Amino acid sequence: MTDRDTRRDTDLGTTVAGSSSQGSRSPRSGSRGFEAVLIILYALFATAATARSVVQMLRDFSFAPVAYLLSLAAALTYIAVSIALVRGGRRSRIALVLCLVELVGVLGVGTLSLLDPALFPDASVWSVFGEGYGYVPLLLPVIALVYLLRGRHRAPQTADDAR
Amino acid sequence: MLALSILVSVVCSLTALLGIYYAVRDLSADLVLLGACALVALVWAIFGITLGLRDLGGGHPEDRITLYGYLLTGFAMVLGGGWVSLWERSRWGSLVIAVVSLVAMVLLMRLHQIWPGGFA
Repeated sequence: MTDRDTRRDTDLGTTVAGSSSQGSRSPRSGSRGFEAVLIILYALFATAATARSVVQMLRDFSFAPVAYLLSLAAALTYIAVSIALVRGGRRSRIALVLCLVELVGVLGVGTLSLLDPALFPDASVWSVFGEGYGYVPLLLPVIALVYLLRGRHRAPQTADDAR
Repeated sequence: MLALSILVSVVCSLTALLGIYYAVRDLSADLVLLGACALVALVWAIFGITLGLRDLGGGHPEDRITLYGYLLTGFAMVLGGGWVSLWERSRWGSLVIAVVSLVAMVLLMRLHQIWPGGFA
């Protein structure tokens, strides 16, 4: 067990068991902060996009191959960002690059779906800039990029963070 | 089934509001919020089992894979959110519970579209 795990267990012991009626003030040592919200959002989109693209491709790939492959690309991007955030945190260079790729993907596929709707007889995850998901696919990389860039400027990189 | 849907919506929305309140007040998830999250998981499980029984009892959902995929995803997501709030001891852990509760409401709305007959 690492020092970080030990700290986390101690926090849980004092907070969950010790305060049943009122939450404790934050932040705590070892806290990931807003990163935790980003990780759960990316994990959700990774699950949704993967399931959607796999089911659609297995059912009838020939119906909308471009849309289904683009959905799969979106799914792989969400999976990669989730892993990068879990492993590297907010100062991960890979996460930053992947979020840029994601933003370019949303904007590119969104524009393509408007310019050439014939390519999309069935919608992809990023069609019309993520219209089917309440435009969250468009907002998510923007929020993630702002958060990641602020994290890079705010705190100097340490040996522990350089992953 | 409609009453159960309303119950799920109410539990989800109250938990989401509680999570947002905790996040605004800079509070980490305690037993009250974690209990609310567990309640969401419980009503979601009851809802899923009831829907499954309707299917077994002669219902004809057009798209069973999507239906059960949504039900399982909803349940796993709420459990995952509770787990994240256990290791994220800050306001952001509370916000995670709010997020998964809101997404559970969206999944519930989608389930009504996927199998309208299941709620008739």
